[in-house]
Amino acid sequence: MIVVGVDVGGTFTDLILADLAQQKLTIHKTPSTPANPADGVVTGLHALCQKAGVSVAQIDSLFHGTTVGTNAMLEHGGAVTGMVTNEGFRDVLHIGRHQRPQHYSIMQDLPWQNRPLIRRRHRHTVAGRMDAQGRELVPLDEVAVRAAGRRMVEQGVEAVLVGFLFSYVNPAHERRAAEILREEMPDVFVTTSSEVAPQFREFERFTTAAMSAFIGPKVRRYISALQGQLSAEGLRGELHVMTSSGGVATPAMIAQKPASTLLSGLVAGVRGGAWVGQHAGTNRLITLDIGGTSADIGIIVDGRLTEADARSASIAGFPVMLPMIDIHTIGAGGGSIAHIDRGGAFRVGPESAGADPGPAAYGKGGDVPTVTDANLVLGRLAPENFLGGAMSLDPAAAARVIGRLAEQLGRSPEETAEGTLTVLNANMANAIRSRTVQKGIDPRDFTLAGFGGAGPLHAAEVAGMLGVRRVLIPPHPGITSAMGLLTADLEYHALRTAFAVKGHVDHARLTGLFDDMEAELSGIFDRDGVPAEKRRMLREGDLRYVGQGYELKVDFPDGPLDEAALAAVWKAFHDRHRAEYGHAFEASPIEIVTVKVRGIGAVDKLGTPPEAPSGGTVAPVGQGRCVFRIEDRLQAFDTPYYDRAALTAGQVLHGPAILLQTDSTTVVPPDWRFEVDRFGNVLMTRDAQ
Amino acid sequence: MTTRVDPFLAAVIHGALENIAIEMGHKLMRMSYSSIIRESEDFGAALTDATGRQLCECTMSTPLQSGPIPGYIEGILRELDRRGDSVQPGDVFMHNDAYAGASHGPDVGFAVPIFHKGALAGFSVTTAHHLDIGALTPGSCGIVDAVDAYAEGLQFKAVRVYDAGRKVEPVWQILRSNIRIADLVVGDMEAQVAAARIGADRYSALLDQYGLDTVTAAYEDLLDYSEKLMRDAISAIPDGTYNARTYIDGYLDSPDPALKELPIEVTLTVKGSDIHVDLTGTAPQTPNKPINMPLVGTVDCAVWLTLRSILLDSDTFGAIPQNSGLTRPITIHAPKGCLANPVFPAPVIARFCPGNAVADTVMKAIAPAVPKQVSAGIGNLRVMAFSGQGEGGPWVHMEIMEGAYGGRYGKDGMDAVDTLYANTRNNPVEDIESHLPLRVLNYELRENVAGPGKWRGGIGSIRSFELLQDGAVSVEGDGQRFEPWGFSGGADGSPAHVDLIRADGRVEALPSKIPYRQLGKGDRIVASGPCGGGYGDPFDRAPEDVLDDVLDGLLDPEGARRDYGVVIADGGRLDADATAALRAARPA
Repeated sequence: MIVVGVDVGGTFTDLILADLAQQKLTIHKTPSTPANPADGVVTGLHALCQKAGVSVAQIDSLFHGTTVGTNAMLEHGGAVTGMVTNEGFRDVLHIGRHQRPQHYSIMQDLPWQNRPLIRRRHRHTVAGRMDAQGRELVPLDEVAVRAAGRRMVEQGVEAVLVGFLFSYVNPAHERRAAEILREEMPDVFVTTSSEVAPQFREFERFTTAAMSAFIGPKVRRYISALQGQLSAEGLRGELHVMTSSGGVATPAMIAQKPASTLLSGLVAGVRGGAWVGQHAGTNRLITLDIGGTSADIGIIVDGRLTEADARSASIAGFPVMLPMIDIHTIGAGGGSIAHIDRGGAFRVGPESAGADPGPAAYGKGGDVPTVTDANLVLGRLAPENFLGGAMSLDPAAAARVIGRLAEQLGRSPEETAEGTLTVLNANMANAIRSRTVQKGIDPRDFTLAGFGGAGPLHAAEVAGMLGVRRVLIPPHPGITSAMGLLTADLEYHALRTAFAVKGHVDHARLTGLFDDMEAELSGIFDRDGVPAEKRRMLREGDLRYVGQGYELKVDFPDGPLDEAALAAVWKAFHDRHRAEYGHAFEASPIEIVTVKVRGIGAVDKLGTPPEAPSGGTVAPVGQGRCVFRIEDRLQAFDTPYYDRAALTAGQVLHGPAILLQTDSTTVVPPDWRFEVDRFGNVLMTRDAQ
Repeated sequence: MTTRVDPFLAAVIHGALENIAIEMGHKLMRMSYSSIIRESEDFGAALTDATGRQLCECTMSTPLQSGPIPGYIEGILRELDRRGDSVQPGDVFMHNDAYAGASHGPDVGFAVPIFHKGALAGFSVTTAHHLDIGALTPGSCGIVDAVDAYAEGLQFKAVRVYDAGRKVEPVWQILRSNIRIADLVVGDMEAQVAAARIGADRYSALLDQYGLDTVTAAYEDLLDYSEKLMRDAISAIPDGTYNARTYIDGYLDSPDPALKELPIEVTLTVKGSDIHVDLTGTAPQTPNKPINMPLVGTVDCAVWLTLRSILLDSDTFGAIPQNSGLTRPITIHAPKGCLANPVFPAPVIARFCPGNAVADTVMKAIAPAVPKQVSAGIGNLRVMAFSGQGEGGPWVHMEIMEGAYGGRYGKDGMDAVDTLYANTRNNPVEDIESHLPLRVLNYELRENVAGPGKWRGGIGSIRSFELLQDGAVSVEGDGQRFEPWGFSGGADGSPAHVDLIRADGRVEALPSKIPYRQLGKGDRIVASGPCGGGYGDPFDRAPEDVLDDVLDGLLDPEGARRDYGVVIADGGRLDADATAALRAARPA
């Protein structure tokens, strides 16, 4: 069984091939080709197969993470999209929640007004209305729907959303209108709001569905072109695409729900972190993926990737009401610029020097101090051995820009460099707190996994700020995302809005909803050819105290629901509320808002990672003067540099140490120990302070 | 600027303080019951020092809720001092005294003191607008006929709801007995206490980690930092005096001329890095109508909000710590006994709309000095309260009807949005109809009413509600009599109006203030929002932008020709020659 993961990033396309029987991994990196990302995939795939000594035809399945949909949103480059909606509600997408993103700004733009997904001229209204119980108040004006379809053809509309009020309770009007529109505009992608996100709150549902229509043609074209090119290259295995919820989907599912790829490229990193953590014996993990301009943070609790709160997920300023992994991105990375702002305060980022010209140390004309320059000044990067010697750094340039900043601040260069790292690390620690402490999770019980090019440089010090005592650095920090692709199962979601208050729950109806959803998902698995023994159905619900506006997710038991089964659900909700907010309102009635089923279809994927060699001792390949803040004082240490590839499992060494490898550099501060575990992970630990 | 703490540690502590305030707001919003907090986000969360100086505020909270927090603490401390009382660990105070810091009665603050090594070190405070506070009619808005402060509902002056950690049950009992829909309101109050306690715990931990002296020095630096930014921005304005006057509706249906068409006057004196704001010229207080505005808690917030949004616009300047340092360069004077500085017990509960008019007037005054940083006149808001007796007991629903911004330099105004010191969210139609005997009939932009300009004013909304059973409505609004002002050659915008359409088809135009008014099943309220003023000569508007508005159905070809001198030919095609001719022919 041979599986391949392809993660297309902005600069590089990372590929990994796993021969599951041989437990052998082959990795390859190739420049991305933004104009047609499929080209880079194909080029890279050839090189990868050559390296691994296999042919494309031998690949059983190919897992893919893409940013085509994400970029279409970020660059506002989607299809000309039209909409059919209720008479009287033409501007739901334009008015939104009537709130300004910024309190203190006259000149701000409202994304939904300045960059509309669907322009007003393309939003057509028709008579037809359901009430909150899904009863028809006004029948659908089918003639008007047909006329709107014809008008949109004239207008050159390329994708259409049908969005009606209360379609999450009764989608009949949406479905009928979509049917008519497909007749009138057979070449156009038509989607409905109830099919994309059947949840109440019309602005958020319509917007999510509008996004699906807006990016739909582009994503569909891309996936179909990729499929075509891959099969022309001889690929016979299946293509699986990563979705925002952390599973993968077939091209057919992606064509139906293009918006499910919005986080495709980001999620794989968290998955990769989870997989590494699992084999290192931890299922409570904070993943910290740091690149040149941004840091992505994910939280894994008891082996499960944390889902984003449906009320706060957004992309490009638009709300997204879809199952998404909670990935918190902040502008902090190796290229982040240290500066004094106009009020005289010291800041690091969010502006970044990027890759070109990049940090001053790159010697490509960068002339502003960055985090990479600070790391170099403090001796934490080996100038002649950056990225395994693929690139050398210019210490004089780094010293010059840091020195200039130090003069402005009236501090020493070392204090300034160390201050730069402290502020950056504190920004990341705060971002992690916002996803842990604020949600009732104590990060001190967690392991921090640092990866991406710059994650291993900062992970231990960020962990120190959070009181986290275990840090994990995977064997290949730079390709953790591609590896994560190979750990995902097929995963689909079904969801129903089902308002029901404790004490007044219609058990049969609720059980029926769950059964319906399972049947729906089974149909998809049948189509995908997933055998019954490989399917799992997980039941969940979003609940709240009656009157609250934010729901919390709890698990539901399998099988028919009765009072006893629900009693466990109510208790789980009180517990969850107490854990998240520190307070439960035991006497208040609870309301079920939505019920969901998450269907998982197991596929062949990475099993146990290859084992690392053990035994022997390793000698440093060099030594440098590194500066650390210990007991609130800057101190210089003679610090050994190790070649990470030569480290073997079983030895415990003490910091300070710098571990060099081709895709990253790991910093072990003085008060930390480290060892290589049997899967080649570096595990850093520190005693409780 | 000299600092007390090294710049790196300062950055770390500032980040930590901000994080605490965000956590407080996040938890309050999620735990609370009533839509006014959880959907509309009409709440505030902040930490202060022991004297009430604000250290940080939650970025999600509404300016009119967070802004007054320092005043709440000062008011509480003054009241305790007057009583010969003092703050003890484990106390929680409830406060809503509009003459001692609070913005008006329904905005109730809960303050949890923070002690460090035995001494008072600060307060963690949450404020929120409550649905009912036991006034003469149901709800907490649309009470436009309260005759004095006592008619506005319960008054809390530094009332302990926890005494040294023990819940003061009698107080909670009074709340439950005197507030309509007490389950919701008291539930929200408990959520406020819980969220404030979280902030207090986190702040204590921060003090334990860094020590009071370091944290104090770091926030002193933070206040200085914000102050410096504001002073730099003020220094860029030419010294001088800038004056503007606008009018509010008041009570348009009143026979008493002293109650309608009331002036709001603002004179700004800029000198170096200071601004003095004088409201002399503003109408006298209305002794028995509650549109008076507390100077502390409403007028000051309106002034600060506007100046900050113009001079340190976060879209241009990025996030700047919102703290007491920003307000140091600004002094405010309003003659005692005017609308903007009433004398107790003048009623103030309906101060929301006049306060936003003060904010708009400040903008009008300063606009000539900083023309590229302002918008033309802004359409004011209206708050509506629907209520009734349902099967499960009484119900109340509050809805803030959006306004619109005026045109801006280089940009049209924001359409159908909450304005100035308000920044709440509307309630989803699907939420309203799922939980209340109301039906929403439409929610759209108005057409052919935008304020023309080179950059046109933002467009108001139309939103209609039908009662599905007998009930009542109250309206607390303004902006129906006067157009939002055009700027720099732009035309004025258009005012709001509210119509009542009876089930039998009779139509009645309503004034902007309607005390509790009974409605029958099938009656409809149709609210048409105001449109902001235009910015710049409409004949200078890019013809393509005019065409866009025509294609989008916001402007008809006749309006394009009349207001903009743009000729749109059949089927929505721009006739460039005819446009040039028409524009050239306009008399100078």
